[in-house]
Amino acid sequence: MSTLTWHAVGAYGIAAAIYLLHLVGLRRGAENAGRALLAIGVTLHFADIGVRCYHGSNPISSTPEAMSLVAFIVAAVYLLTSLRYQLTAAGAFVAPAVVALILLARLAPAEAPVQDGVTLPMMGRLGQAHILLATLGVAVFAFAAVLAVVYLFQDRSLKRKQLDRAVDRGTPLDTLDRLAHRCVSIGFPVFTLAIVTGAIWVARLGILHGQGTLRPEYLIAVGTWIAFAVLIIARVGAGWRGRRAAWLTLGGFGGTALVVAAYFIRHAV
Amino acid sequence: MPGANIDLLLVGVSHKTAPVAVRERLTVDPEAIAAALTELTGLAPVREAVMLATCNRVELYVAADDADRAAAGLAEVLARRAGVGVPELAEHLYQHRDSAAVRHLFRVASSLDSLVVGEPQILGQTKQAYDAAVQHGTAGAVLRACFEEGAFRVARRVRRETAIARNPVSVSSVAVDFARQVVGDFARRRVLIVGAGKMSELAARTLRTHGATLTVINRTRARADEMAKQFGADVADWENLRGALVAADIVIASTGAQRPVLTLDLLTQVRKARRGRPLCLLDIAVPRDVEPAVGELSDIYLYDIDALQKVAGEHRAERAEEAAEAESVVEEELGRFVKKWRNRQRGPMISALQTHFHGIARAEVMRLSGGVDEKERKARLDIAESLVKKLLHQPMTALRDDDPDAAMSLVQALQRLFSLSPVAALPAEAPGEGSADKKATGS
Repeated sequence: MSTLTWHAVGAYGIAAAIYLLHLVGLRRGAENAGRALLAIGVTLHFADIGVRCYHGSNPISSTPEAMSLVAFIVAAVYLLTSLRYQLTAAGAFVAPAVVALILLARLAPAEAPVQDGVTLPMMGRLGQAHILLATLGVAVFAFAAVLAVVYLFQDRSLKRKQLDRAVDRGTPLDTLDRLAHRCVSIGFPVFTLAIVTGAIWVARLGILHGQGTLRPEYLIAVGTWIAFAVLIIARVGAGWRGRRAAWLTLGGFGGTALVVAAYFIRHAV
Repeated sequence: MPGANIDLLLVGVSHKTAPVAVRERLTVDPEAIAAALTELTGLAPVREAVMLATCNRVELYVAADDADRAAAGLAEVLARRAGVGVPELAEHLYQHRDSAAVRHLFRVASSLDSLVVGEPQILGQTKQAYDAAVQHGTAGAVLRACFEEGAFRVARRVRRETAIARNPVSVSSVAVDFARQVVGDFARRRVLIVGAGKMSELAARTLRTHGATLTVINRTRARADEMAKQFGADVADWENLRGALVAADIVIASTGAQRPVLTLDLLTQVRKARRGRPLCLLDIAVPRDVEPAVGELSDIYLYDIDALQKVAGEHRAERAEEAAEAESVVEEELGRFVKKWRNRQRGPMISALQTHFHGIARAEVMRLSGGVDEKERKARLDIAESLVKKLLHQPMTALRDDDPDAAMSLVQALQRLFSLSPVAALPAEAPGEGSADKKATGS
């Protein structure tokens, strides 16, 4: 890992500690410090991605690089959203997740950029577009999942009549629900395009290189897409909101996480 | 903290010493505050005055040369205002002087002396009282230091460093906070008020101020109409209770019914129709209006009067714990304030002492220099000035001592020995006109 990466991880790590302490009630009023450190982390992370790009490892050249980009997008989206909404509790999930993703990405075995056995030059524009769209989709769904988790925690606090926890560290349920829905609404078309470009790419690879075998992650990706489609249709058509929507969002994100994990394990092995 | 030599005097009554029957007679309309302040600074020993009048206290903070006379005068003013004799009012009055008065002011501004400890209004009221005094020219150096550099700073620190005002302690505030955690901002939110009793009116008034849209539903339509008219609310027919519940974001139930009117069956149907949209149910009726099992339904958040009171009670206990921490902040700030005050007094006292001695020397030289020429008179003046400088060198060095306590005792000694007034030792920030004239006693 480069010095820049370590510094970014350090800033994210301290931000994570502050947010976690805030969540458990040991350090109140630390949201500004947490946000400042997260902003430093995002800046350093952006510089790190830029430097790696300059040296030929662009964010879509491999699964670890894509994971690092997901972490960057999640952190940046959280940072921007937290400027408008009181989302301190979500910070306790976002910051540690970002640290974990970067560490996984950067500590994974280094090897030549490979995707599905295809080197970057072989990917072509379609393959690159697929990976970029999938990365963006996963990042937005990840943020939606964080909001869904916070929703479920907040729901539990309010059901248990714990105003102290709810008021001090939470966000109104309605706000969390609306934000999560907005994320899914943005992520779904992006993920749909990723699925379509991916399907065409795999089909072409099968024809051109004989490498387009049907893998489990393809099926999981389609399953995930269906889960999010159901969520959007249920929300728009039948007005589904609240806990059910939160659980479905988590289910959908679980699918995307499995797909990413499958790619990552294949890369690592 | 004795001997701080801050000539602040406080005379007043509060909820702790006087019943409302006495306090209500002492309240002052904002329009009448100027006249009241003028009356206070019209008392002979009073140089500066601030009048803090709220529903729980009426306190007069003054800077005065003769504290005993000033206290007697202030008691007379208050007694006259209350329409009673001084002895009758005396049992309700309290007074503090010097650093004890400053401590009291710090505690009041920090809401440690309030009926509901930690309530936020008192700081605003204290600021208003001080601003009124500044506006009417009755606040000078002493009160400016005590309020601006002291009380407001302490109150901000207490609020920032302790959790004394973090959580609400009244049932209605707790209910509003629960509702806010469910639906967020109240603007454009629909609040359904089930039952048109006195408690409902109270809740309606609170939520109306937060911008919510109200709908009243009551078995007796006429009563609902009456209440709706009062709060600019809509009215729904009792037969349409289910539909009104589906449309609402917050429900306040406060009927006089002996059995729950919002049953599990009804709310199960409502929940289904709402498709996961969260509903906050505030049941403030006794007997309860909502079946307790409703609280188990997902996406429905039920809070009855016991739950609200329990949370309010927990918050009150929390505040009591935080109050101890706040008291230590007050003591720390009082120590800092007194030290600063003493330091502030040294500089002007040195000047006053020099002016005093040089004035005497010059006067004596002039008296004994009749008939001598200008050159000789100047030579004599130089000798006298030089003598004064040499004589004052040691006292000046001692006054500039780093230890403020040691220096302060010297300042007090000098004041007594040479009749140097502490007023003359204050920074040259005169209070407003009218009161300024009689306060400059000089040395």
